[in-house]
Amino acid sequence: MIEVRHMKKNFGELEVLRDVNVHIHPGEVVCVIGPSGSGKSTFLRCINQLETATSGEVLYHGENILDKKYDIRKFREEVGMVFQRFNLFPLKTVLENVMLAPVLTKHKSKEEAKRLAMELLEKVGLETKADAYPAMLSGGQQQRVAIARALAMQPQALLFDEPTSALDPELVGDVLNVMRDLAKEGMTMIVVTHEMGFAKEVADRVIFMADGYVVEEGKPSEVLENPKEERTKTFLSRFLTA
Amino acid sequence: MNIQFYQTILPMLFSGIKLTFMIAIIGILIGIVIASLCGFVLQSNFKIIKIFVEAYIWVIRATPIMVQALYVYYVIPKLIGLDFKANTVGIIVIALNSGAFMSEIIKGALLSIDPGQKEAAVSLGLSNFQTMIHVVIPPAFKIALPGLFNQFIISVKDTALLSVITVNEATHQAQNYAALSFQAIPTYTVLAVFYLVIISVLIILQKWVEKKMG
Repeated sequence: MIEVRHMKKNFGELEVLRDVNVHIHPGEVVCVIGPSGSGKSTFLRCINQLETATSGEVLYHGENILDKKYDIRKFREEVGMVFQRFNLFPLKTVLENVMLAPVLTKHKSKEEAKRLAMELLEKVGLETKADAYPAMLSGGQQQRVAIARALAMQPQALLFDEPTSALDPELVGDVLNVMRDLAKEGMTMIVVTHEMGFAKEVADRVIFMADGYVVEEGKPSEVLENPKEERTKTFLSRFLTA
Repeated sequence: MNIQFYQTILPMLFSGIKLTFMIAIIGILIGIVIASLCGFVLQSNFKIIKIFVEAYIWVIRATPIMVQALYVYYVIPKLIGLDFKANTVGIIVIALNSGAFMSEIIKGALLSIDPGQKEAAVSLGLSNFQTMIHVVIPPAFKIALPGLFNQFIISVKDTALLSVITVNEATHQAQNYAALSFQAIPTYTVLAVFYLVIISVLIILQKWVEKKMG
């Protein structure tokens, strides 16, 4: 469904992605783990072109979306993103946050968008907060709104960029539960995360990235419990003792 | 002070006040348009246009508005061989001057919006234009508002300086009347009260708008 080929990304002299090749299949949940600075977030952001990859290809249903002729908005309408810092629109209510994109991209009329938004807010457990403003919500609630906002575009896949890293520990669970439900419903997801428990339980595949490369990938039981590469072992052991 | 005084000063001042209002309102409105365009350019990547915009702001900030008025009224017409009416020059000067200062305010407000908001908007499939209109401008406007109102107030008061280029706005009319009638105390008192009242209206309006926007 999404195939990344030979992706490279330099920030000036700094090579953040050196040669990344990843193939995501429909319905698959892929967790990307690795030390900070390994390029995980950049990898995600180069897929929907919040950053422009220096070279390489991203094939979406066989079409290279990094091609200048491709209208990236089409891809972004179909593949949503959830950010570490939620990035809700502060002057809009929860409901308006969720309704905005479907209405503006003309996928839905106002009434339809509202009905869908309320449904999605119910799904993430926040239907009572529809008229609240983001600043009135906890981090975990904001992130669930952000997920509802991404779902309002009825995406084919979702990209999660460390969705629980900015949350207080006791709020992480609610967000992970929502993501777990999405995975069960068959949503295609790429999740950059430090939540090893979540990766172990929900991921179909785990990708370990370091120094701009995919060092190791496979089933969670393989990568997380019996890593082959030395680099993966060191990372995971630090993680467990931390 | 007698009835006759008020019968002469008030109509004179009133015509001056009308002109003050007209120049201030039209000048500031054009200034807002200039500032919106320039403020947008300043925070964008249009390198060459940016140099021109920066030069314009530099010149306006580095010269007194009175000198700007004298220059546009007495020098530029000679250079380009065109004559402008004093009132037109007044509007141009207020527009160019307020436009430059408001450009900086608008640039600052646009830059203060968290880039994450824009990323969230475009990652939902919004165009850059839609992102600007629906996601960036509303909070930026809220941030810019106190600075913009401050400039409105300064610009209304700056119209008084246009008396040097013979614009018959309120201050110029008052000066004329005071010189003819030797009634300096009541004339300038009425003038001062006039400015106090309209600026107070602006200040109250600002508080009301800010409260309304929460």
